[in-house]
Amino acid sequence: MRENLLERMLFYTGLCVTFVFILAPVTFMILMSFSKNPDFLGQSFNFTIRHFYEIIYTRSLHFPEYLANSLIVSSISALISTAIAGMGAYAFTRFNFPGKFILLVGILALSMFPQISIVGYLFRIMAGVGLINTRTGLVLPYTAWVLPLSLWILISYFLQIPGELDKAAYIDGCSPLKTMWYVILPVASPGLFSTLLLAFIFSFNEFMFALMLTTDQAARTVPVGISLFQGLHGEIPWGSIMAASTLTTAPVVILTLVFQRYIIQGLTRGALKG
Amino acid sequence: MTSLKRSQDSRQYSYDWPWVTLLLGPGLFLLCLLILIPVIGTIITSTNRDITFMDGKWVGLSNYAELFKDTAFRQSLRFTISFIAVSVPLELLFGLGLSLLMNYKSSFRGIIRSLVLIPWAIPAVISGRIWELIYNVNYGLANYIIEQFGFEKINWLGTSSGAFWAIIIADLWKTIPFVAIILLAGLSSIPETLYQQAQIDGASFFRRFYSITLPLLRPVIVVALLFRTIDALRIFDLVFILTSGGPGGSTTSLSQLGFKYFVGGDFGYGSTLSVIIFLCALVLSLLVIKFGKFSQEAI
Repeated sequence: MRENLLERMLFYTGLCVTFVFILAPVTFMILMSFSKNPDFLGQSFNFTIRHFYEIIYTRSLHFPEYLANSLIVSSISALISTAIAGMGAYAFTRFNFPGKFILLVGILALSMFPQISIVGYLFRIMAGVGLINTRTGLVLPYTAWVLPLSLWILISYFLQIPGELDKAAYIDGCSPLKTMWYVILPVASPGLFSTLLLAFIFSFNEFMFALMLTTDQAARTVPVGISLFQGLHGEIPWGSIMAASTLTTAPVVILTLVFQRYIIQGLTRGALKG
Repeated sequence: MTSLKRSQDSRQYSYDWPWVTLLLGPGLFLLCLLILIPVIGTIITSTNRDITFMDGKWVGLSNYAELFKDTAFRQSLRFTISFIAVSVPLELLFGLGLSLLMNYKSSFRGIIRSLVLIPWAIPAVISGRIWELIYNVNYGLANYIIEQFGFEKINWLGTSSGAFWAIIIADLWKTIPFVAIILLAGLSSIPETLYQQAQIDGASFFRRFYSITLPLLRPVIVVALLFRTIDALRIFDLVFILTSGGPGGSTTSLSQLGFKYFVGGDFGYGSTLSVIIFLCALVLSLLVIKFGKFSQEAI
C-alpha cells in the first residue's frame, strides 16, 4: 500500500510539473497577445484586442497573405505527397521487384538528410527555372521533403491489410490499380488521413526552405513572416508578434488535438516502422 | 509494431514492371529531382570556388582544407557538439519520464496525451519567438520567476552561457513530447502480465522499472536516440530566432553557418560545410537502419 502511495505521489508531482512546463509558454503567448503593455507581469494587465486588429488590417505587415500562402502551400504539398506515397506504398507492399529493400532503405536515408545539404543547390535549381518566390517553388520541395515519411507511415498501414482482400478483388477480375482504388484505399483511409495531417503540419512548420526560396508576400509563409517581423519604430512589437503567433498556432493546435489519435499513430509508425 | 512477415502472403502480383514503374515513378522522380540531385550538386559545388559575381574555378579539396583551419567553423562545430551532448540525453531522460506518466492508468491519461502534442505541433519559429519573449531581460517570464525566488535577473540571450542554456531549455520544451510519444509506443507493447507477475513476486516500483521496462524498451530508446541526434545535428530554426548565432558567434550551429555562406553568395564554401553535416547525418542514419527493426524479410 505504501508503495502504491509513493507511486501515486510521483505521478501527480510529475503531472503538475508537465502541465506547468508545457502550458506556461503557451499561456504567456496568449496573455501577451491580449495585453496593452508587454510588461504586465507583476503589474496590472490591461486587456486589448488591438494587436489582432493590427496584424489583420495593417496592409504593410502582409500577415493575411503569409497565412494564405502557408495554408495553400501546405495543403497542396500534403495532398500530392500523400497521393504519391500511397501509390509507392502499394507498390512496396503488393509487388515484388529486385532491389526493393535497398530502394526502401535508400528512401529512408533520404529522409534523414539535413536540409542544409539541399537548400543551396535547390536555390540554384529554382532560380534557374524561375520558381524563386512562387508557391509552386515551395510546393515542389515540400512534397519531396515529406514524401519519405509519408511513404513509411503508409507502408506500415498497408502491411496490416490482409492479403485475402487483394486476392478476392483479383479473382473478381480487378486490375492492380482498381484493387488499390476500390479495396485498399478505403480500408487504409485512417492511415491516409494521419499521413495527410502529418504532411500538412510538417510543411506548415517548415522554415529553412521557405526562408531561402521566398523574397516577399507573393510566396512567403507565416514562419518566415513571423521570424522577420520587425517593429516600425525600433522597439520589438511583442503584442503583434504574439497575436500573429496565436492566430497561426490556433488552427494547428486545434487540428492536432481533435485528431490526436491519428497524429500519435502516424508519428509512432513513422518512427518505428510498422 | 505488428509483425511485418505477414506481407509475404499478401503479395499478389509479383515482378510486374509496368505496374511497379507506374506506381513508383512519380515519387522516385520527385525525390531524385529535388533531393538527390541537389545533394550531388552540393557535393560537386564543394570542390569549386563558387562565389556570386566571381569567376568559378575548380579547386579540389582546398575548401575542405580551409574549413578545418577556419575558427568560425571550429566554434560552430564545438557549439553543435555541445548542444547534442547536452540536449539529447536530457530529452531522453525527461522523455522517458513523460512517457511513463502518459502510460500510467489514471483519469488524466487522455488529457496528458493531448497536452504533449501542443509543443510538438507549434511551428519551431513560433516557439522560438515565444521563448525569446520569455527570456526578455525586462519583462520576460523567466526572469520574473527567478526574481520571485529572490535571485538576480539573468541576461539570458546576452551572455554565451545564458544563450546556450536558453536554447537547450527551449529545445527541450519542443522535443521532450516527441521523444515521449515514440517511447510510449514501446511502453504500450510491453505485456501488462509481466508487471502483474513482478508485483506478485514483490518487486518494487523501481525494481520493476529497472528490470522490465528499461531492458524491453532498449531498442526503442536506441532508435529515439539516433533520431534525436540527427535532428539536433541540423538544428537551425531555434538558433536562428533566439540568438541568430550570438553573442559573439558562440551559439552558431553548423547549419546556420552554412546558411550564412549561402545567403552571402559563397556557394562553394557553404556547400563544403553542408557536405560535412551531410556526412555526419549519413553515418547516423546508417546506424538507425542497422539498429531499427530492419531485415531483408521485413517487406
